[in-house]
Amino acid sequence: MTEWMSNHLLTFLVFAPAIWGLLILCFPEKQAPLARLLAIFGAAGIFFISAARLLTIPPEGPMNLVFAEHVPWFSVVGLPVDYSLSIDGLNLWLVMLTTFLTPLTMLGTWRSVTQRAGSFMALVLILESGMLGAFMAQDLLFFYLFWEAMLVPMYFMIGVWGGDERKYAANKFFLYTLSGSLLWLVALLYLATKAGTFAPGIMAATALGLPFSIQCTLFLAFALAFAIKVPLFPLHTWLPDAHVQAPTAGSVILAGVLLKLGSYGFLRFALPMFPDAFLHYAKPIAMLSVIAIIYGALVAMVQRDVKKLVAYSSVSHMGFVMLGLASMTVIGTQGAMLQMLSHGISTGALFLMVGMLYDRAHTRMIADFGGVASKMPVFTTFFFIVTLSSIGLPLTNGFVGEFLILNGTYVSGFPWGRAFATVATLGVLLGAVYMLWMVKKVFWGPENMDEDSGTQHLHSDLSVREIAVMVPIVLLIFWMGLHPRSFIAISEKPVANLLRASKAPDPRMKVQPMLQHEPAPKSELASGAATPSATGEEVLK
Amino acid sequence: MNLTAQNWAALMPLLVPAAAACLIPIASLDKDQDTVKPVRAAMFGMALLALAVSFFYFTKLWATGQNLFFSYLKMDRLGQFTGIFVTVAAMMALLQLWDHLHHEGWMKGETLSLLLFSAVGMMLFASTTNLLMMFLGLELLSLPLYVLTATVRFRQESVEGGMKYFITGAVASSCFLMGAVLLYGLTGTLDLEGIGNAIITAGGDPLILVGAALLLMGFLFKISAVPFHQWTPDAYEASPHPIAGFMSVATKGVAVIAMMRAFPGGIGLHTATGERVGIALAALAAATMIVGNLSALPQTNVKRMLAYSSISHAGYLLLGFVAGTPEAYTGVLFYLVIYLAMNMAAFGMLTAYGLVGEHTQFEDLRGLGWKRPVLGVAVVITMLSLSGIPPMGGFFGKYFIFKELVRTGHVGLAVLGVTASLVSVYYYLRVVVALFLEQPSEAQAREATEKPEIQSFLSTTTVLICAAIILAGGFFQLFLVDGFASKALKEGIEILR
Repeated sequence: MTEWMSNHLLTFLVFAPAIWGLLILCFPEKQAPLARLLAIFGAAGIFFISAARLLTIPPEGPMNLVFAEHVPWFSVVGLPVDYSLSIDGLNLWLVMLTTFLTPLTMLGTWRSVTQRAGSFMALVLILESGMLGAFMAQDLLFFYLFWEAMLVPMYFMIGVWGGDERKYAANKFFLYTLSGSLLWLVALLYLATKAGTFAPGIMAATALGLPFSIQCTLFLAFALAFAIKVPLFPLHTWLPDAHVQAPTAGSVILAGVLLKLGSYGFLRFALPMFPDAFLHYAKPIAMLSVIAIIYGALVAMVQRDVKKLVAYSSVSHMGFVMLGLASMTVIGTQGAMLQMLSHGISTGALFLMVGMLYDRAHTRMIADFGGVASKMPVFTTFFFIVTLSSIGLPLTNGFVGEFLILNGTYVSGFPWGRAFATVATLGVLLGAVYMLWMVKKVFWGPENMDEDSGTQHLHSDLSVREIAVMVPIVLLIFWMGLHPRSFIAISEKPVANLLRASKAPDPRMKVQPMLQHEPAPKSELASGAATPSATGEEVLK
Repeated sequence: MNLTAQNWAALMPLLVPAAAACLIPIASLDKDQDTVKPVRAAMFGMALLALAVSFFYFTKLWATGQNLFFSYLKMDRLGQFTGIFVTVAAMMALLQLWDHLHHEGWMKGETLSLLLFSAVGMMLFASTTNLLMMFLGLELLSLPLYVLTATVRFRQESVEGGMKYFITGAVASSCFLMGAVLLYGLTGTLDLEGIGNAIITAGGDPLILVGAALLLMGFLFKISAVPFHQWTPDAYEASPHPIAGFMSVATKGVAVIAMMRAFPGGIGLHTATGERVGIALAALAAATMIVGNLSALPQTNVKRMLAYSSISHAGYLLLGFVAGTPEAYTGVLFYLVIYLAMNMAAFGMLTAYGLVGEHTQFEDLRGLGWKRPVLGVAVVITMLSLSGIPPMGGFFGKYFIFKELVRTGHVGLAVLGVTASLVSVYYYLRVVVALFLEQPSEAQAREATEKPEIQSFLSTTTVLICAAIILAGGFFQLFLVDGFASKALKEGIEILR
């Protein structure tokens, strides 16, 4: 068993949650408490195994894929499809984020789901499998399978356990996300039939040989699917509905992990496969990202529902991620990597805490609260810390990512780089405005004495269970803020390698005719990659 | 005429169900109230046994890899594939019929006999390359189905639907016959291979095109492609659910297989005539997907929705012909296997939930998923597969076809295909929404507590088996495609001319 485990660690990580979830699904409804307990043990087990085994990778990271598993799956009627999973610097921390958030989410929403709790937890586990599989898959059709299959558990989580408009929200979520990926499938098939395989490396080489206009069309089909998931303005309209209607756990996983798959898709597949097209469209992408940053912040400012506010703040924060990718610099991309993680943690935590508030008060309207700080001091402390991390205060995780992204955009060498970075900085400011305004209204100010108000329904501060959920998150917020290198060091080399193949105008990354996966000479790496961390830490001191 | 052992062997799997079909009506003559139950069980048992014998015979033949012939009857790999396909569909329909006819209160022996005759006709239809034999098979499969559609006579729309099906079907059959006659007159042979050779030497005679077009109409009617689809919703709504499922699966399946023998296998898609047929097929496939999917959207009746969905699936199947590579035809056969499981489960689910007669609205499904969760999950798998969501088998069916379509340069059609299947997701999800996301209305809840619990062990079992096949299609394509579908083609017929 142990030998099998060490050889098939990734297979175990990907499929164990789903199998565990299917077993739990078989429990009768009367046994829901037991099913829930087993589910959380399963999820925690997956986290500990992944932490124990995956974090043995040296922090600076190996060049190649590690823990790779690669066997031909089926090659019927022509086109081979491979069963190919692996972990490298690009996905290690995203995998860890998934395994970390899942048990915490389960623990945090322990009592939120009252009906059919066992089935709900089982769906969370199945969803975890889908996400882990999508992050690890190295074969594009295999990736596509996970990408689509993931929709199903989320659909049921929103549709069965959601709010009043859940049917509408669930259908919208499902159809909206599917619409992008089906066109992407055609593009995928087109490229794969030309390349004769679904392996990204060979497909990338084939794509380079195609006429530029076709490359652009294919890139747009890829980008559409990923941009819907991110979501990039103006394709974000499914997100507020899905978030507001989803149960707390659904929102946490949706914001915390699912959205990252979009930006991860850009980084892992769209950028290396179509470097020229990416360069060609870098400006529109960056422009949409900046619009998303500002627009998301402005819309968040006028929300009356806390959850919707956090949902729009997601649009704004994910705009930063996309801006970092569009800058096509090592600094910016590394910032995007970090921003993905920190957004997953901060926004996940915000949704969790909004859920905790809702469980007590049964309302999420800002106007229904006021003076919560005096009723729930511990909760207020945690909420404030997470708020600060979300608005990007230095020393917290939110700052480093946004700073690196803005820095990368500024120095990108694109003619629009400086202007866009300047405008995006405004977004950071706006983020502080809406978050602090909301915190002020909800937690401070005079206590809302209205009998029906949310404040009057708050009878208890956080329980030990809820504190146990928040403590690791807060620790992580500071860890990422104080020593971001431990999270982005590993992605330096892969990111630098990706960008070297592209023809980005970044002066420090002058184009060299090099193969994508060839290891880079030391000096090149040092000059290109040492910059982000150095700049980041300098400012911190 | 002396029959060799080999001839008998080719004939056996058709003879056994035919003989059972002759015996069953005799048993049903017994009207004694005391013995009605044992006789009923005996009839069902006999029908099931005959089909099972035929099924095992086919699997044995498949395992030996022999190609058997009896004059015009060709029990090659493709014929054996058809045999397995039809007998499985018929057995499932039979099991569901037991539950369905008990719920609806209409137990007649003729039903089973007609079902068996129809199954024999289907096997004949797709296991020959002689146009006259094909026509015989076509009639043998159609005539019992017309009657079966109208079998529950006390329901008015049942008779109406049966009549519609009969009249339009008769026109289609005569078109098929006229086409065969024209081709015979121009080429002097009824054998498809001979016709194909004659076409190559004769060149593009316009009358040959007319003959081929008439022949094609006959096939397209049976697979309910636009514009020959009008009968489908009415006929499906009229028939008992298992019969509707059987019609949608087996008729379409054998018509597709026979069409493979006739067009790419016989007339050829690369001759002057064949190329025009190919263009027509591309246009019709596009129209079928658009019309089928858009018409399914506003339906309030699950059965009519499934009818339009089966029309749209005919469109996807036709896309395989448009691509026209051996891999595409393999994909079509794979799709048929999954389609069998999907539609037998989709119609069987109605029987399993006890929704007979008029109770087939979406509202009638509300909240039922939670009552019988295992069945509910199987239905969800079916619906996701119908809409082509991985990792279900339905996705791979579409994948194999679309992949070949893209490879042969029909990117526009592939985009249309995926857009169509995006539209289809909405109406398949409505079933899932009704089952799991909605609560039954108070009146329904009250009614449910008053009515006795529905026992439908057999149809539930078939739905679960179908769900298992769908999942197998999603995870073990290698076996299904390599071991089954592509062998049927490689060793069966030379598909490309």
